[in-house]
Amino acid sequence: MEILLSSLLGALKLSAKLILIIVPLVTLFEVLRHLPVFRRAGNVVEPMMRGVGLTRDAAIPLFTGIFLGIAYGAGIIIRVAQQKGLPARELFLMGLFLATCHSVIEDVLIFVVIGGNGPAILGVRLGLAVLLTGLMARVWKPA
Amino acid sequence: MSETETDAAVEESIPDIPTRIRTGLSAGFWTSVKIIKVSVPLYVAVTLLKETPFLDLLGKVFAPVMGIFGLPGEAAFAFVAAFLLNIYAAIAVIVPLNLTPFQVTQCGLMMGVAHNLVVEGGVLSTTGARGGVLTLCRLVIACAAGLLLRGLWGLWETAASWAMTLPGLS
Repeated sequence: MEILLSSLLGALKLSAKLILIIVPLVTLFEVLRHLPVFRRAGNVVEPMMRGVGLTRDAAIPLFTGIFLGIAYGAGIIIRVAQQKGLPARELFLMGLFLATCHSVIEDVLIFVVIGGNGPAILGVRLGLAVLLTGLMARVWKPA
Repeated sequence: MSETETDAAVEESIPDIPTRIRTGLSAGFWTSVKIIKVSVPLYVAVTLLKETPFLDLLGKVFAPVMGIFGLPGEAAFAFVAAFLLNIYAAIAVIVPLNLTPFQVTQCGLMMGVAHNLVVEGGVLSTTGARGGVLTLCRLVIACAAGLLLRGLWGLWETAASWAMTLPGLS
């Protein structure tokens, strides 16, 4: 009985920690994501995106996925992908990048809270995503 | 359709700040509900299971596979939670296991790549990309990332301990 109570307390403490990260993070993102700076960011990242075989059209779904995650950003990702009519090659490359590197802020923060090394997680994921997507972009040449 | 027209169609009209804060808070609230619903039962279950031989047994079965990535066999349970459910479920399993900082980092990396495979595989396939192929890719990438981190971490520790032996640095 005692162990049940102490584990319940531990579980609630952990949930509280996670919630204290998630709620401000999501709220901040909602407030910031409409700022003009972020809308213009497409110009800045374009050269970097070309390196992994993507064009400007993929910028909104790509960065939504990187910062928000695939499940939470699903609405935006699906809508933009269909409206822009992204070609199969770009969809695959974007999917590959996001598979390796998505929802990074939230994922990294919650693992740092329980004792993980944030820069190591972020570094390996970002490095691997750029490497793999860049490699595939060279293997699968644009038609 | 011209470029500007496409952009206008894609971007929603911009809501004012209070509306955005409300949207954020309510999204955060529902995520919190999801976190509690998943984490609390799993955390309690794992803590109770630790008292039984079951978790040890499971650990022994998966020790060879998990060992490749420098993880204890019990971590397999956290991976199942991450693959089928989400990161919060995995966290709830990891914390009662008392892992080392390296092991927590390793879990964070591998599960960050491969989690919530059922739901996210569905999202990825609706965009027209091959959902199944990408899910398989994620599992392979997670393993590759795990091996990479284990190698890098080992190198780092070797370098650190070597640096400590240098005169004037200890």
